[in-house]
Amino acid sequence: MNNASIRVRLTLWYGSALALILLLFAVALYLVMSRALREQVDASLNEAAAVAIRTLGEHRFGPFLIFEDLSQDFPEIALLDKFFQIFGPAGQVTIQSSNIQSREIPLSQSAFRASLDGESTFESVQFKKGVPLRLLSVPIRQGEQLVNILRVGTSLQPTDRMLRRLLVGLYIASPVALLVSLLGGWFLAGRALRPVHAITQAARRIAAGDWSQRILTPHSNDEIGQLASTFNDMIGRLEVSFKQIRQFSADASHELRTPLTITKGETELALRRPRQSEDYRAVLESNLEEIDRMSRIVDELLFLSRADLGEIKLKMFPVQLDDLVREIQQQALVLGMDRHVQAVLTAVEPVLIHGDDLRLRELLLNLVDNAVKYSYEGQTVELALVVEGSHAKIMVRDHGIGIAPENHARVFDRFYRTDEARAHGAKGTGLGLAICKWIVEVHHGTIELDSTVHRGSCFTVFLPLIPARA
Amino acid sequence: MRILVVEDEPKVASFIRRALEEESYAVDVCTDGTGGLNWAQAVDYDLIILDLMLPGLPGVEVLRRARAAGVKAPVMILTARSEVDQRVKGLDAGADDYLTKPFAIEELLARARALLRRAGGAPTGILQVDDVVLNPVTREVTRDGQRLEFTTKEYALMEYLMRNAGRVLTRSMIAEHVWDLDFDTFTNVIDVYISYLRNKIDKGRERSLIQTIRGSGYMMRSDG
Repeated sequence: MNNASIRVRLTLWYGSALALILLLFAVALYLVMSRALREQVDASLNEAAAVAIRTLGEHRFGPFLIFEDLSQDFPEIALLDKFFQIFGPAGQVTIQSSNIQSREIPLSQSAFRASLDGESTFESVQFKKGVPLRLLSVPIRQGEQLVNILRVGTSLQPTDRMLRRLLVGLYIASPVALLVSLLGGWFLAGRALRPVHAITQAARRIAAGDWSQRILTPHSNDEIGQLASTFNDMIGRLEVSFKQIRQFSADASHELRTPLTITKGETELALRRPRQSEDYRAVLESNLEEIDRMSRIVDELLFLSRADLGEIKLKMFPVQLDDLVREIQQQALVLGMDRHVQAVLTAVEPVLIHGDDLRLRELLLNLVDNAVKYSYEGQTVELALVVEGSHAKIMVRDHGIGIAPENHARVFDRFYRTDEARAHGAKGTGLGLAICKWIVEVHHGTIELDSTVHRGSCFTVFLPLIPARA
Repeated sequence: MRILVVEDEPKVASFIRRALEEESYAVDVCTDGTGGLNWAQAVDYDLIILDLMLPGLPGVEVLRRARAAGVKAPVMILTARSEVDQRVKGLDAGADDYLTKPFAIEELLARARALLRRAGGAPTGILQVDDVVLNPVTREVTRDGQRLEFTTKEYALMEYLMRNAGRVLTRSMIAEHVWDLDFDTFTNVIDVYISYLRNKIDKGRERSLIQTIRGSGYMMRSDG
């Protein structure tokens, strides 16, 4: 049963419930029918008795009634589907209608006793080789004296026959109804489960790697429809993150492959034949540069993946941001020396924020390093720290290659580097700004970019101030 | 043999260039797609090595446009190992071979030789004119079984002449296939190098294999 499909189980449950209902219904119907028929028979007997009593009149009753006289006066008596018997006060048969013929249908003890008490009695009897009978005995009294007992009887055969026919009908109709509704149930269950089947098929194709698969949702908003659209939503989200992961790993492997290609190629080339020692030196220096690049990529990748997993613990303390900015400016001067890029502080205000000193330093250093790298030679990089409302506002502005507006949103993506940045020759990893964004966000701040191609970029970071004590 | 290398990563381009130059090919390097396409159309290269990840115009597009413009030179594409679809697109766009990064430098050189051989129509790669035999793999040249020593440039010129034996080669054709972009066509460097070759292979022999075609250029022929 556990292995059977939902369709089979639904149909079987449905079938069992229906069979039970049918059975109860049949039994009830039979009981009600037989009772109704019995009551009908009894009512007709009562009526016949009443008619007979009224017709015969009370004066005619007595211990000695002669049937011939009766039947002469009331010929219709013989034509009724009922028979009559009139017993004397001692219970002996006085006269009886001719349709009884010679059969003996004596008065029962209980009926006789009830008659003595003045009560009518209904009885069902079945004599040997005879038909089932329903009998009504009515006492006829004059004053307190029992004069006669009138008995009216009728055959139960027609009623029994009708009940039997009903039973046969139920025997035949119930299984047919059951079968038809089982088939209907099977069909309906199949119909209801068709979207489930579609979901299974789609899931199977998706498992095989076809992420474009979606389930055709029925227009209805029923349970299955909801399941299908929930499933589609889930697949959509999975597809997006799957693509992101694939893009990310493709980018990561591309970024690592370039330094690998260089170190491998240069080393192999150097080893092809004996060379001057300065040639070897040049190769080793170049390789060291590439190895540094790879280790930087690996470090930054590791940092980001740990950040994603929430494994990086921040040490949040009050940080004097103006001191930090001054320190960074000093480092920027060193960074800019080779390219004659001057780092200047255009504004600085005392600012205290709540943050992780190490991460904030990394954030600012990354921004300043970028600014220096992508500046044109001999230009200045401007640093500013001001308070704006409830936030500290840090600006790092360069005068360099800039970023085209269509790339503004993407520069914070992992491994995203503009073609201009690649062509610029500076050895970036494409991860710096992704890390900056993460650091800003864990400090509940925002980072914005304003940039014009060939004019320069300005990165603005807003960090919340420590709320002043009331 | 003149080769165009289109590669945006300067260090990669640099060592490919040095490796090819050591094999006496003339090499031009271009670091972006648009420039690569222009050079491929402007110069009759013997081989183009094309990176598919390029700033500006993507490599596949460079290839498609170059083929559409009638560039016949064999093309070897450089791709990352994971980029199967890129490789397929590249081959479909008209590339003759591919190499995945990071690659072994010897493999790059061997594939370059194979492509040049196929383009030259010599199945084994060993070139022969009369009793002069040139093996591009070992870069050995012999005449009558006797080994001859050449400088890199001399060898390049020799190989070009032998690959095109029986054809008249003008000075500008020679300049285009044996020298790179820095070559100044107004000097008589080609004539000087031809005389070096003659000194090495024809000197003291009855038949001169390198013939001067007056007014047009030079030709290498066995029935001198």
